[in-house]
Formats: sequence, C-alpha cells, structure tokens
Amino acid sequence: MKAMPTLEGGLRIDAENVGDWTVLRAIVADAGAANGVDLASRLGALISEEAGAEDWEEYIVPDLREAFQDELAQVGANIESAIFEVDGGPGPLWISREDVFPWYSALNQARLSLEEIFHFGPGEDIDPTTLPPAKGAAYIRSRFYCAIQGLLLDHVMK
Amino acid sequence: MADTNTLTHTEEATSLDVPWNVVVHDDPVNLMGYVTFVLMKIFGYEKKKADILMMQVHRQGRSIVWTGEREKAEFYVQQLQSHQLKTSLEKAE
Repeated sequence: MKAMPTLEGGLRIDAENVGDWTVLRAIVADAGAANGVDLASRLGALISEEAGAEDWEEYIVPDLREAFQDELAQVGANIESAIFEVDGGPGPLWISREDVFPWYSALNQARLSLEEIFHFGPGEDIDPTTLPPAKGAAYIRSRFYCAIQGLLLDHVMK
Repeated sequence: MADTNTLTHTEEATSLDVPWNVVVHDDPVNLMGYVTFVLMKIFGYEKKKADILMMQVHRQGRSIVWTGEREKAEFYVQQLQSHQLKTSLEKAE
C-alpha cells in the first residue's frame, strides 16, 4: 500500500492488492469491536455524579454515539466506493481536506477500540511476532492506522 | 378587634457560581500532535500554550485545560469528547 500527500492538500492511498483493501475495510470493523461498550459510553463514564453523569448519559452520549457512527459510515462508504470504482476495478482512495476529520476520527475510533481490547499501551517497539496471532495482527493494524493518522495530521489537518 | 401587624422579613442570599475545571486525561492512543491541535482548535490557544497543556497531560496524566462557569465548561467537555479526548468535569478547588 502506498500513501502520499496530494497537491490539493489531501491524501491519496493506493491499495495494491486484496490484502490492502481488507486492512482498509478493517478500520470500520475494528472501531466497533471494543468489548461491547462503545466509545461514546466509555467517554460518558468519565463524567462523575457530581458533574451530572445522569444528564450526560441521557443527552450528550447519544449525540456523540450518532456522530461517531456517522463518521464511520462515511469512511466505510468512501472505501467501498474506491473498491468498486467504475472502469477497471479498484481505484485510489482520496482523502480530501473536507473529509479529513471523519477519516481521522474513524482511524482513532479503531485504535481506541483495539487498545480497549488488547491493551498495547504507548509502546511503539512491540515485536508483533511475539504476540498471539490475533493480537499481533491487531497490533500491526493499529500501527498502520497510526501511520495514516500521522500523515493526515502532518499534511492535511495543518 | 385586635390590631394586626404584618412583619415582613427579607433575607438576601448571594451564592457565587463555583468554577468548574475541564480536565483532559492521558491515554495511550491519541497522538501528542493531535491533542495540541484540538486544544488550539477548541479554545483558540496559541500553539505554545497548547503544547504545554498537552505535555502536562502526557507527563502528569492529566491537565486542567480550562476553568470557568459550568455551562461553558460542559460545552468544552462535549467538544473535547467529540474529538475523542478523555475529558472530565470537576469543581475547581
């Protein structure tokens, strides 16, 4: 897979084989995988009773949940659209400046979810071959998502 | 017929709004550059100030990024959570 900044200030990702598309598709699946407790609920749990946890759960958490799901749906649609691009099969995946926040959010949701499940911690020097297969694969995906986020942050968001 | 006296007693009570802290907590996922970016975007902080607060989060595990009236603090917490930063709200001491 290749990723490069575009002259228009966006990012272009070229998936080179089926495996690359599988990894890209995994963003959405990983984002929704966190042990049955979604990100909006986990964030809502940070609000204490004194600070109004009940109201937060009732009024804010549903809005957050909907926003996160909308962002995932947009990114999922972008990926599927690139896979089934007309005339000659899969085309490049374009992340424009206008689309950067849903993309960053989706990648972050995926990484937060994987962290919730596997507890990788902040370390960047884990050897994935020493991990159980599922955890090792999740670690590699998490590092890939992080690399794309770095590109978005450095070349598109700023 | 007895005289009736009406006694009016007025008490004035003033309660000051307690300030609330917006607290960002460390997590192993959010990139340092992203935390700085979000603090600049939401609060309009200069990069230097946002960097200092981000480093507090990173080194001390948390940082009070804003203090003030409750309604505004709630708004900021909502904004920060919508950017997926671990954020809480607490009464300022």
